[in-house]
Amino acid sequence: MSLAKVFSVSARVRPYGSTGMLVRYASAGQEGKVSKVYPPTSPGYKYVNAEDPDMSMREMTNRAATTLFWTELARGFAVTLAHIFKEPATINYPFEKGPLSPRFRGEHALRRYPSGEERCIACKLCEAICPAQAITIEAEERRDGSRRTTRYDIDMTKCIYCGFCQEACPVDAIVEGPNFEFSTETHEELLYNKEKLLSNGDKWESEIASNIRADHLYR
Amino acid sequence: MNIDVSDCIVERITVPLKMASLVNVLLRKTSNFSPSKTLLFNLPAVNNVNSKRNAHRWMPDENFVKQFEGVVMFPEGVSGLPKHGPYNSIVAPGEKHVRNMVINFGPQHPAAHGVLRLVLELDGETVRGADPHIGLLHRGTEKLIEYKTYTQALPYFDRLDYVSMMCNEQCFSLAVEKLLNIDIPLRAKYIRTLFAELTRLLNHIMAVGTHALDVGALTPFFWLFEEREKMMEFYERVSGARMHAAYIRPGGVALDIPLGLMDDIYEFASKYGERLDELEDVLTSNRIWVQRTKDIGVVTAQDALNYGFSGVMLRGSGIKWDLRKSQPYDAYDLVDFDVPIGTQGDCYDRYLIRVEEMRQSLRIIEQCLNQMPAGEVKTDDAKLTPPSREEMKTSMEALIHHFKLFTQGYQVPPGATYTAVEAPKGEFGIYLVSDGGSKPYRCKIKAPGFAHLAALEKIGKNSMLADIVAIIGTLDVVFGEIDR
Amino acid sequence: MSNSIIKILALDKVATVLSMIRQNGGVFGSLYKLYRQEELKDGKLVGEDSFGNKYYENPRYFYSRNRWVEYSDKFNMNYDASQVPAEWYGWLHYKTDLLPHQDPGRPKYKWMAEHTENLSGTTGQYVPYSTTRPKVEAWMPKPKTSV
Repeated sequence: MSLAKVFSVSARVRPYGSTGMLVRYASAGQEGKVSKVYPPTSPGYKYVNAEDPDMSMREMTNRAATTLFWTELARGFAVTLAHIFKEPATINYPFEKGPLSPRFRGEHALRRYPSGEERCIACKLCEAICPAQAITIEAEERRDGSRRTTRYDIDMTKCIYCGFCQEACPVDAIVEGPNFEFSTETHEELLYNKEKLLSNGDKWESEIASNIRADHLYR
Repeated sequence: MNIDVSDCIVERITVPLKMASLVNVLLRKTSNFSPSKTLLFNLPAVNNVNSKRNAHRWMPDENFVKQFEGVVMFPEGVSGLPKHGPYNSIVAPGEKHVRNMVINFGPQHPAAHGVLRLVLELDGETVRGADPHIGLLHRGTEKLIEYKTYTQALPYFDRLDYVSMMCNEQCFSLAVEKLLNIDIPLRAKYIRTLFAELTRLLNHIMAVGTHALDVGALTPFFWLFEEREKMMEFYERVSGARMHAAYIRPGGVALDIPLGLMDDIYEFASKYGERLDELEDVLTSNRIWVQRTKDIGVVTAQDALNYGFSGVMLRGSGIKWDLRKSQPYDAYDLVDFDVPIGTQGDCYDRYLIRVEEMRQSLRIIEQCLNQMPAGEVKTDDAKLTPPSREEMKTSMEALIHHFKLFTQGYQVPPGATYTAVEAPKGEFGIYLVSDGGSKPYRCKIKAPGFAHLAALEKIGKNSMLADIVAIIGTLDVVFGEIDR
Repeated sequence: MSNSIIKILALDKVATVLSMIRQNGGVFGSLYKLYRQEELKDGKLVGEDSFGNKYYENPRYFYSRNRWVEYSDKFNMNYDASQVPAEWYGWLHYKTDLLPHQDPGRPKYKWMAEHTENLSGTTGQYVPYSTTRPKVEAWMPKPKTSV
C-alpha cells in the first residue's frame, strides 16, 4: 500500500462556521445538535456542503484541536511528501515515446499502389470536404490517358488535422500518416506540394499500411 | 592659427562628405558651440572629441581658466525664480481631482485563463469595478459555419470550448439530428455518454487544477494533469486526435471504439477516485484553501437565475437544474447518477460540486462500460452517414452516396431548433436554423462561459484583488467559446 | 531467506545499478550515456535499424518507458526524434508488439524511399515549388539585337 493511500483514509473535516441560509430547528433530544431543513430533496440531487457543524462538546474539541495543531495541513503535506517517493510519470522524450494509436492523424502523405503508380486520381473529394480549404488540386490527362493531378498542394498551416480528407478519399491516396515530428523553422516549408506529399508516402508507407491494416475492421 | 582650424571645420561641414554619419556627428558636436570668439579658444576640445579620441585628453589651458577669473555670479533670472511666500500665510487647499486606479488584468496575466482582458477599478486593494473585455480570440465561427456543410461545420465545435471538446460536438450532432428527425443506435448513445463524461472529467480537472493553481496550490495541478494525459490518450485511440477529436458526428459517432479501450477506461476510472481523494486531502479542509474560497464570489440563487447562469455556477447557489436530469439526451436516462447541489453559492461550494461531479462521472462511466450494447454506431440511413470503406469500394450505390456526402453533404429539412446539452461548464446550446439546404442558414452558439463572465462585474465587485483571481478560476471561463 | 535479506538491504537495487553500468560500457561509457541521454537504463537490445539506432526493451519500467531508442553514435548530440524510421515507429509508439523484421504484413516495395530526419533548418530542407506550368506567363520583350 502506498503512503499516499495511508494518509488519505483519514476523515475529511468539514470547514466550520458555515452560515445557515435555510430554516433550522433545534431538536429537543440531543444537546447542541442542530439540523437543517432543506427543501424537499428530489431524487438524483444531493447537497455537497449542507451539514452544519456538529456542536457537541467532543466535535467542537476536535475542531479546535485541528485548528490548533494544524492537523489538516500536516495531512496535506504528508500526501504531498508521499508523492515525492513515487516514480515520476514523465518520459524521456526523444528516447522514449508515448503510445499512439493506428488512428492517429498526423502529417499528410500521398500513397502509391504496390506497382509504384500513384493512387490519386484527382477526384477532388478531399478538396471539397476540407473545412479549412487547405487543399488545392489541379488535374490533367497524362500521356498514357489516365487522369492524374498536376498540382496537389496542402497548406499545412491551414490544415486543422480533422481527417476528413482521408475519410473522403475513395482510393486511400491521401492519408494522415503517423508522423507528428515535422515542425519547421519557416512557414514556407509547410506549404507542401505533390512531390513532398508523395515522398512522405514513400518514406512512411511501411507504417501507413500497417496502420490501415490494424484498423481496417473499424473503417 | 585657431581661426584656421575653425575654417577647416566649416569646410568639413559644407563640403559633402562620403560618410553622412560622420557629418552628423560633427554637426551634433559643433552645434553645442556657437561660433563666438570666446568658444573658439576651446576648439582643441571640439577637435579632440570628434577625431582624436585616441590621443591625450585635453586639459584646461590658460585661456580657458582665464574666463572664470574674478567673481562668478549666478544669473539673476534663475536664482530669482523661487518665490517664497510670507511665513505665516495659509495656502487654501485647491480642489483636487481624485479617481480610483484603473489597471489592466490580462490578457497576458497567467491567471486570466487565456485571453481575458479585465479592466479593474481599484480602491486600494479592493475592486470597485471589473470590466471584462472580450474578443481577442474571435474567429467568426458562427459566420463560418453558415458557409460550411453540416459535416464540415463539425470540427469548428471542437475548437469552441477547447477543454471539453466532445460535449460541443455532441450538442451540434444532437441539434442536427433533431432537425433531421432521426434517432441513433443505442451503442452510439452509450459511446457518446461515455465520452461526454470523460470530457467532463477533462474539463473539471482543468477547472479545479487551474483554480487551485491560481490561488496558490500548485501541486494538485500536476497530479491531475497526469490523469488528464491518460484521458487524452483515450481520445487519441478512439478518434485519432488528442484534443480536436471530430468524433461525435450527426447520426452517431465516426468509428466504433477499438478493442481493449473499454478495459483501459475501466482501469483508469477505477483508480481515478483515489486521485480525487488525494486532491481532497490536500485541498478540501486545508485552511488556506478554505480561506481563499469560502464566502468568496458569493452568488445568490436569484442572481444566478437573473444573470442566466447554468451548470456548476447555478447549482452552486442551490438551484436544482441539470439538463442531464431535466431533459435527458443520449443515454443519460439509462444511467443512474446524482447531481451535486451547493448551498452557499461561494467558490468553495463550487469546488466541492466539481469534485463531486467528477465522482458522479466515474459512476456514469462505469455504468456505460457495463451496459454498453453491441451493434451499429451510426444510423443506417445511407443519405446521412457515409458508408464503410469496404462497402464504398465494392458497391456502386455506396460509392455514389459517398461522393454525394463528401461534396454536397446532406440536406436538412427546413426548421429551427434550440438544442442544449449539459456541457461541463454549463448549458451549451445551439440555435440552428436550416433553410432546407446542405448548409445551415444560421447557427447561434450559446456558450455558458459568456453569461458567467458577464456577471464578473456583479460577483467581483467589492472583493479583494486576489479574490478576483479565485473568482475567475471558479467561473471556469475558456475563451474559445466566449469569443467564438 | 537470503533473498529476502538482499531485498531488505536493497542489495538487488545495487546489483541493478551495477549491471546498468556494466551494460552501458563501464564508468566512462555510463557517464557519456548520462551526458547524452540524461538517464541510465538497462534493457534487452531488440534490434537495430539501418541508421545504427538501437532499440531496447525492459518491462521492468512502466508502460511508455519500457521501450526506448538510443540514437546512433554518429549523430552525437544532434539526435532528434524524427530519426526513427517508419519501420520502427509503430513498435516504439506501442502500436504493435511485433518487431519490424517479425512483422510479415509490413510491405517492402522497391519504390519505398529511405527515411530522412526532419531536415528543416539545414540545406536539405524542403522548399515549396509549383508542380504545374504557370497559367499566366510574363511578357518578355524581345532582346534588342545589338549585333
